[in-house]
Amino acid sequence: MSECESIQESIGRWLDGEMPASEGESVRAHVARCADCGEAQRRLEKMQIALKNVLAAETTPIEFMPFWRAVERRISEKSAWYDDWLDRARGLFTAPRLAWAVPVAIGLLLVLFSTDGLRFGGSRGSFASVESIDAYGRSVALLRQNESKTTVIWLYQDQEGDNEAADDSAKTAPAF
Amino acid sequence: MQLNDRELAQKCQAGDMSAFEELVSRYHQKVYMVILGLLRNREDALEVAQETFFRAYRKIQSFQGGSSFYTWIYRIAVNLAIDAQRRQKRNPLDFRESMDGILEAQNEVAKDPFADVHDKELRENLIKAINDLTPEHKAVIVLRTIEGLSYKDIGEILGCSEGTVMSRLHYARKKLHDKLSAFL
Repeated sequence: MSECESIQESIGRWLDGEMPASEGESVRAHVARCADCGEAQRRLEKMQIALKNVLAAETTPIEFMPFWRAVERRISEKSAWYDDWLDRARGLFTAPRLAWAVPVAIGLLLVLFSTDGLRFGGSRGSFASVESIDAYGRSVALLRQNESKTTVIWLYQDQEGDNEAADDSAKTAPAF
Repeated sequence: MQLNDRELAQKCQAGDMSAFEELVSRYHQKVYMVILGLLRNREDALEVAQETFFRAYRKIQSFQGGSSFYTWIYRIAVNLAIDAQRRQKRNPLDFRESMDGILEAQNEVAKDPFADVHDKELRENLIKAINDLTPEHKAVIVLRTIEGLSYKDIGEILGCSEGTVMSRLHYARKKLHDKLSAFL
């Protein structure tokens, strides 16, 4: 960052009187000798004056007594529980808390899913199934260990009277 | 002898309603001005200002005196105003009409501080640019410009650090400047 960029970023703080004296003096000296930074100061001051005028133009004095009576009426009439609840909710959902809550919630979901995988199948890539392979009731029991490796652990026919065919098939069951 | 804010707050905590009335009389105008700066609508601002003092009365027991009363009451006011602003569904035309209404009501149009056409354009564009700011950016601009509060006090009111106030002010002014560069 060049010196001018750095100075122009600090001009607002300097004009606000929020800068230590020594730092403020170096900004003042730079602005006095640099045309660009002097112009930046002039523009910011003009904008500040316009801002003040615009915001001040809106303000009308409000009468105290009607205002006070309206406040008194609220105090005597209004139910407190709803506002208390809102205040508590506001305290819970502040931006810094939400900033923490989002990664924590994602972490919890990941833990939940990984626990779910352990509980229901150990390794999610390995599971057993029974599948029908033709219209005669012949089925195979398969163990899929991963995407490329499947082992046939049983071949059978579950229709009564067809035991012979099942036996034949069982004898020729291939070991993939 | 006039009591200071903290003494009045203590009397109020003990149940003295007239002490609270005195606090309201001291701050109602300033609180209203800040809220009006944020909401830019008189009726809404009056409503939120009354609500601010109602909430302050209910919470007065929680005022410990760690911060000044005015930063405490402004904190309530700004939070309520920011909430109201987020709920506000007005379009820019409504804001513009609202501003004209205010000026006419005050008979301010004739003694407009912006003398020439160029400055009137600047004012109109500035109003639009202010309305486009986020509630957080608008809050720092209003508290600094209307009340001239220090970064430390603004930080206490908004519940953030002085560094955050400085950064928000810088970026809010930059946004305004970028939109108004043709008029400055």
